[in-house]
Amino acid sequence: MSFPKKPGGKALEVLQTLPRITLANLRPEPGATKTDKRLGRGQHGGNRSGRGHKGERQRGNRPRLGFEGGQTPFYLVIPKYGYNDGHSRRPQYKPLSLKRLQYLIDLGRIDPTQPIDLTQLVNARGVTIQPLKRDYGVQLVDEGADSFAAKINIEVQRASEGVIAAIERNGGVINTHFYDPISLGILIKPVPFFMRGQPIPKRMMPGEDMVPYYTDAENRGYLADPEKIQQARRALALKYGYTLPDISKDELYRMLSMRKDVRQIFFGLAPGWVVNMSEKKILKPTDEKLLKYYSSEI
Amino acid sequence: MAASILCGRTMLCRTFKGISCSKTLLSANSRSGLLLQTASYNPKPLKLNLREPYIPAKDSEKTPEWQKTARYDRKLFGRYGSAAGIDPASLWPSHEQLDKIIAEENEWHPPLAVLLKNIQAKEEEATKKRLEKEKLIADNMAKMPKMMADWRAQKQETKKKIREAKARRAKLLVEARECFGSTVDPRNKKFMEMVENLEKDEKKKKKLIKRQQRDERVTGSVTPPEASS
Repeated sequence: MSFPKKPGGKALEVLQTLPRITLANLRPEPGATKTDKRLGRGQHGGNRSGRGHKGERQRGNRPRLGFEGGQTPFYLVIPKYGYNDGHSRRPQYKPLSLKRLQYLIDLGRIDPTQPIDLTQLVNARGVTIQPLKRDYGVQLVDEGADSFAAKINIEVQRASEGVIAAIERNGGVINTHFYDPISLGILIKPVPFFMRGQPIPKRMMPGEDMVPYYTDAENRGYLADPEKIQQARRALALKYGYTLPDISKDELYRMLSMRKDVRQIFFGLAPGWVVNMSEKKILKPTDEKLLKYYSSEI
Repeated sequence: MAASILCGRTMLCRTFKGISCSKTLLSANSRSGLLLQTASYNPKPLKLNLREPYIPAKDSEKTPEWQKTARYDRKLFGRYGSAAGIDPASLWPSHEQLDKIIAEENEWHPPLAVLLKNIQAKEEEATKKRLEKEKLIADNMAKMPKMMADWRAQKQETKKKIREAKARRAKLLVEARECFGSTVDPRNKKFMEMVENLEKDEKKKKKLIKRQQRDERVTGSVTPPEASS
């Protein structure tokens, strides 16, 4: 007499006794990896390894692109005017359209109930900033300005007039701030910076070429006079033909009126503080000279 | 002797620990002893040195330089907090370093007021230059109609002169043909002599006319009262 066994008994037991699958005990499927081609082995040992005979082709030291063997190359023959002078040193601003910003807000990747700065945009994967590639921040582009419907307090580096109008029409606030490359690197990656155990530096002032932009109220620059910004807001509302919502009576007034200090990099963190992630502590300097240096205004 | 006892103790401890932590596993094994062999499992070695952690010695020569720096200490503090055993005061720059930082900042980062002043000065200079150029252009443009008229008049005059000279030459040639009976080359000596003579005659005539006119003027100034009476 044979009793029917429990279905799947053995396999189930194997599964129960095996350790949990982790990254440590996973390895590629057989056949998923391909070994490198080993050149110059066996029968073909003394041959050219498939690279042909002699010269730049065999040695892999081809000349630079556009080089014509010593003859004046084409790209130098044509005279050119200085439209592109210094293009490799010009500051770049990564574009972010209002359409995409609305998308990020709708998906919950950006929280509109908190002030939005570059950290939020980078964390939401809205933009990728590379300070080493002369990125100076993000510019808001007015694509999707008509369908933009969020009330936000946003801080960007450049913004066009249409963008400013679209945000202020919804009762939002926009400001343009300058970050020098070092503080920009800290702003886009706060945690790696905190892990370095260094005090938060002061944000530097823009150079002479950028001061006019950030002192202009029409650009909502952070160095502009707040009263002039109010005037500019009203003027823009008149120009674009919308009624400017009164922010001071808004329920989110506290959030909307949050601004960073001229020297501040993070909201709520002053320059000179050390943030320790492992102990969840903030260390503040007490030395008077340090305090004086970090609190010096402009 | 003592060592062996100690070893035995530790062994015991280990076995007990093993039992306590993997109770479920053991029970499964007892039920099906063969299974463990069939389910062969080859874990990768754990590549972590947990027994002898590397702690850089500051005074050792073997320690790489970057592990002796203050930057590395700060990094340790950032990672492990106060457990790293680093004085939190060393996280900030010392007074000498701060002096250097401040000096550099003063050199390279002028205050906003200075920046604004520089910008204004530059702007003023640019507007001044532009206005000067515009003024120069306006002045020259104001002179333009007169200069154009002068230029036209001069051009017309030269044209007229050339035309007259041409006409005179043609006339002379005609005269010479009448005189010599055949067409004459203008480079001919005879012709040139004739032209010189004619010019002399003309000069004489002009002188005569001038003298006559002067005489007439002198006599005219005297005679009119006679004529009136």
